[in-house]
Amino acid sequence: MLQHLATVLWNKKAGPGYYRIGLRCPGNFSAAVPGQFVMLRLVRRLDPVLRRPFSIHNLVMHGGQANGIELLYQVVGKATTLLSQLKTGDRVDILGPLGRGFQLPSGAKKVYLAAGGVGVAPLVFMVSYFRRRPVDLSQWHIFLGAKSREDLLSLDVFSTLNIPLHITTDDGSAGEHCLVTHPLETTVEQSPPDLICACGPPAMLGCVADIAERHGIACQVSIEAVMACGMGACLGCAVARRGEPQTYLHVCMDGPVFDSRQLKW
Amino acid sequence: MSKKPDLQTTIGGLALQNPVMTASGTFGYGKEFESLVDLNRLGAVIVKGLSLEPARGNPPPRIVETACGMINAIGLENVGIEAFIAQKLVFLQKLNIPVIANIYGRLEEEYVQLARRLDPLEAVAGIELNISCPNVKAGGMAFGVDPAAAFNVTQAVREQTSKPLIVKLSPNVTDISEIAVAVAEAGADCISLINTISAMVIDIETRRPRLANITGGLSGPAIKPIALRMVWQAAQAVQIPVIGIGGILTAEDALEFLIAGATAVQVGTANFIHPRSTIDIIDGLEAFLEAHNIATVSDIIGTLEI
Repeated sequence: MLQHLATVLWNKKAGPGYYRIGLRCPGNFSAAVPGQFVMLRLVRRLDPVLRRPFSIHNLVMHGGQANGIELLYQVVGKATTLLSQLKTGDRVDILGPLGRGFQLPSGAKKVYLAAGGVGVAPLVFMVSYFRRRPVDLSQWHIFLGAKSREDLLSLDVFSTLNIPLHITTDDGSAGEHCLVTHPLETTVEQSPPDLICACGPPAMLGCVADIAERHGIACQVSIEAVMACGMGACLGCAVARRGEPQTYLHVCMDGPVFDSRQLKW
Repeated sequence: MSKKPDLQTTIGGLALQNPVMTASGTFGYGKEFESLVDLNRLGAVIVKGLSLEPARGNPPPRIVETACGMINAIGLENVGIEAFIAQKLVFLQKLNIPVIANIYGRLEEEYVQLARRLDPLEAVAGIELNISCPNVKAGGMAFGVDPAAAFNVTQAVREQTSKPLIVKLSPNVTDISEIAVAVAEAGADCISLINTISAMVIDIETRRPRLANITGGLSGPAIKPIALRMVWQAAQAVQIPVIGIGGILTAEDALEFLIAGATAVQVGTANFIHPRSTIDIIDGLEAFLEAHNIATVSDIIGTLEI
């Protein structure tokens, strides 16, 4: 884990209220794994005063080396509004890479990725990460759900892959008119995968965890929590652990990617 | 070139290479910051508040951000005194700086037992008594808002240990001087203040509190002016050293506390925002003293002109 003063390479609109920011970091993110996150601080600001956690969306590659990272974010409050106003050349303070990412067991050939809304962020890194490695993605499936057509993010990345892509929208403006968990469950029933990896809103993740559990499939979920430090000091990002009442795991150190069976849904 | 200013200070018999410590609950058990901070440059490390048994803490949400600050209701989650000694102290005792153990209990007897357990440990340079946490249901702050209870618990712990004893005070009182005097008379070697200010935030859509604990403790730059006022009042009320805490982010912030009468400072929420804050503050203090031709940090302590 390192603290870096990063330079904004680009900060481009990715949809209504969505942005992709590219950051050149002096530190080396080559060792970062999909699902890990960074804590970002807007420099010289007291309000908002805390850092914000963001999943790594992708690495910025230069000459075969990662010389930065890309984040995909939605404008939801003061910090992300200010972030969306940054220009190329501006600086942000980055702490990372942090936390535990997705782990692909050696025997896992058939992997289903499920994303809800901006939850697609770490799954893009997941795909690009394993494409650069001797991993066979031919049996993978991707399930992308969003509110509406314009909220479907990173379609361009996924559509160039030779991986089946299942699209759903809440309003039926693109793909199937249903929740993303619907085609996921249908596909799981037809052809059970070795692993499901998911990121999205809590209700969606709870549903994915339930599908995985009912079909006896391993499932890893990336979850979000309010946190102050991102490194195990503030203990603010507690989530309820399954099994033992009133016991907690911490999203920053134990996660943000958890085996879904570790958590109380 | 002139000689570097001397940053050494002494709190209740404990010599510090500089007046900058980490506030309990914001620096884990030290190791969390190992890769980001040269720990041996700190004045001292104060660890997360310890209880007799491991504590699980409060249900989430535990944190909410406010204007220039944050409210936490962690609930003193900690590994417990035995795991601290067996696992965490091993790393800390390799450092060349004093390690101060912060303790809390629900009953006076628990404070006594904790102090008795820590007293013989060479690796523990001092004890900070938390009588001011707003986030635990029993004990905690109850001792810190009543002068008689504060006196009693301080005296009971004093009888158990000859180590430097710091008592950390709550700002959630009408008259801070009264509590400060009570713990000084009970044998505290120093007082540290302020702990967080009891606070809350409401979600107007759900009309529910934003913290599961309903209320929590406000910290960060938002509370600095209040902290400074209380440190100034307390420093006038007692003869023992006062340690200033509350929203210190920069060397300039720390200097305000020193001028108000603090012998040392603790850096808290800043560790979350900028993990290297303590080091930047130490460097900044040195630079300020040098620029103003002040030979030692003690020459600036309590120099407020009124």
